[in-house]
Amino acid sequence: MSDFLISSFTIAGIYALMALGLNLQAGWSGLLNFGHIAFAGLGAYATGIVIQAGGSGWTGALVGVGLAMALGWAVARLGRQLGSDYWGIATLAIAEILRTVATNEGWLTGGAQGISAIPSLFDGLPRPWNAVAFLALVLAVVAVAALALRRVANGRFGRALRLMREEPQLAACMGYDLKSLKTRAIMAGAAVTALAGSLYAHYMSFAGPDYMVASETFLIWTMVMIGGLGNTAGVLVGVLLVQAAYSAVPFAKDFFGFGSDLAGALRLGLIGLILLACLLWRSEGLIPEKLRKIPA
Amino acid sequence: MLQFLVDTALRASDLALIALGLSMVYGLVKFPNIAHVQYAMLGAYLTFFLRAAGVPLVGAILLSCAVTGLFTLAMHLLVFRRLLRSGPAIAMIGSLAVAMLIVAALQGVAGSFPRMFDLPLSAPHEFADARITTTQLLTVGTTGLLLVGFSLLLFFTRAGRAMRALASNRALADASGLNAERITRVVNFGSGAVAGLGGSMLALSTGAHLNLGHDLLLPVFAAAILGGLGNPLGAVAGGLLIALTETVVTNLNFGFLFGKPVAFLPVAYIGAASFLILLLALLFKPYGLFDRQVRRV
Repeated sequence: MSDFLISSFTIAGIYALMALGLNLQAGWSGLLNFGHIAFAGLGAYATGIVIQAGGSGWTGALVGVGLAMALGWAVARLGRQLGSDYWGIATLAIAEILRTVATNEGWLTGGAQGISAIPSLFDGLPRPWNAVAFLALVLAVVAVAALALRRVANGRFGRALRLMREEPQLAACMGYDLKSLKTRAIMAGAAVTALAGSLYAHYMSFAGPDYMVASETFLIWTMVMIGGLGNTAGVLVGVLLVQAAYSAVPFAKDFFGFGSDLAGALRLGLIGLILLACLLWRSEGLIPEKLRKIPA
Repeated sequence: MLQFLVDTALRASDLALIALGLSMVYGLVKFPNIAHVQYAMLGAYLTFFLRAAGVPLVGAILLSCAVTGLFTLAMHLLVFRRLLRSGPAIAMIGSLAVAMLIVAALQGVAGSFPRMFDLPLSAPHEFADARITTTQLLTVGTTGLLLVGFSLLLFFTRAGRAMRALASNRALADASGLNAERITRVVNFGSGAVAGLGGSMLALSTGAHLNLGHDLLLPVFAAAILGGLGNPLGAVAGGLLIALTETVVTNLNFGFLFGKPVAFLPVAYIGAASFLILLLALLFKPYGLFDRQVRRV
């Protein structure tokens, strides 16, 4: 049981990092990134490939973060002249192209089998403690990322992002370079997400094209939307809720004794239902973003 | 050569009806409905189950179109009309949730195993060097007829004029006394029914399976964006272009580029071809190939 809890929380922590990365783009900057998972996929693959080539885990993570930031820059450049919904579809297409490449370029990525035998980080420790140590590492990274992002959000950069989201023309009038703001927001989000992908590759000892399916992006979107777009605490709550729903399904499956098809359907349906209910009745999320009001 | 044209026509007719509906609805509600391709999958499964229940094939398809249309209308009235008040981005994410729910419901009811239609086998017709089966001939024919009928409706009737007016300038159309809500409802029903038809006809050859909707998502969006979202016949032209590119890319021998006798692109990259066209279209012609408006950005 405790093994199960530790693993659930570790995965929740990794998703929390990805969700924080998405929140920076979608929550504060209002960018509809539907290809967010590509950044995590790059992080995971870079870790796997670098380690296979004899490099260290650190190098892998750094390469992944670098690649993801480069992709983020390219994606942001692409978005210069597109409406936000068109841009969302473009990001979805980019993520799918990357997944197709990862599935087919077997010499680099191992094809559909992916890259396995990526060493876990704390193999030296005895059995339960290696998982605990990994969980502690993930939680520490999440805490650092959440605090740092919160600081950024309340600082000048975060205020500029929110102004760009609400009143782009006003922001431009006040001398902000919107293109550069968007680019920096996407690149920062990409870096955090690639780090999460790298951690995930270590945790699962595996990197494969399944990490990059579009439904993973939608899952992260659900987490961010449920918790509260634009609120760091809200995002973390959303991640916990979705992860709890996910972890509860296997128990329900055993308890009611239904098949794996129905269990998969239940997972997907539950997430869809929560997301839809949230959008219809509480579109600002469970913990809405607090906007500072200046007393008149 | 003839086979090449036949392949293109088959692929184009798979995409055309679904892209047409997507584009038509976009013109009125102004958000890209990601769930639209899942309506096609819903139609495919409905046709399968109705047929399994003993309804003859044509009746099953018609009934499934009607149910899919009603479902689309219900989704518009219950979900998207409310979400649109919070803006197109929220509505787009809502369509994502609806898409997930449709996939989940069908997975729960029908399971993940593909459902094939047991159609009577017949020898393909041969014209010169091309082969086409009776089912494929009927599919392409139905799509063609429907497209011609739709163009006549759009350009030569009052209802068609009202639809075009509403899509190009909603405020002006409202002021001229058009009943926007009623037209939006009719168009929603129609687009859902047409998507159900497209999905059902596609499933006749591939079977109804859970990835049917997802596999269509990017090609259909690419077609609709190429034609300019909101321009239904443009979407059909976009579908034709996507089909043409996909067929060229798979049939062209790239050997001359590499100095080898035979070099074909791996089949797995066909899907990527349409995503690439989509990206190029977004980069250079974000408002579609047929956009004549001058915009200030």
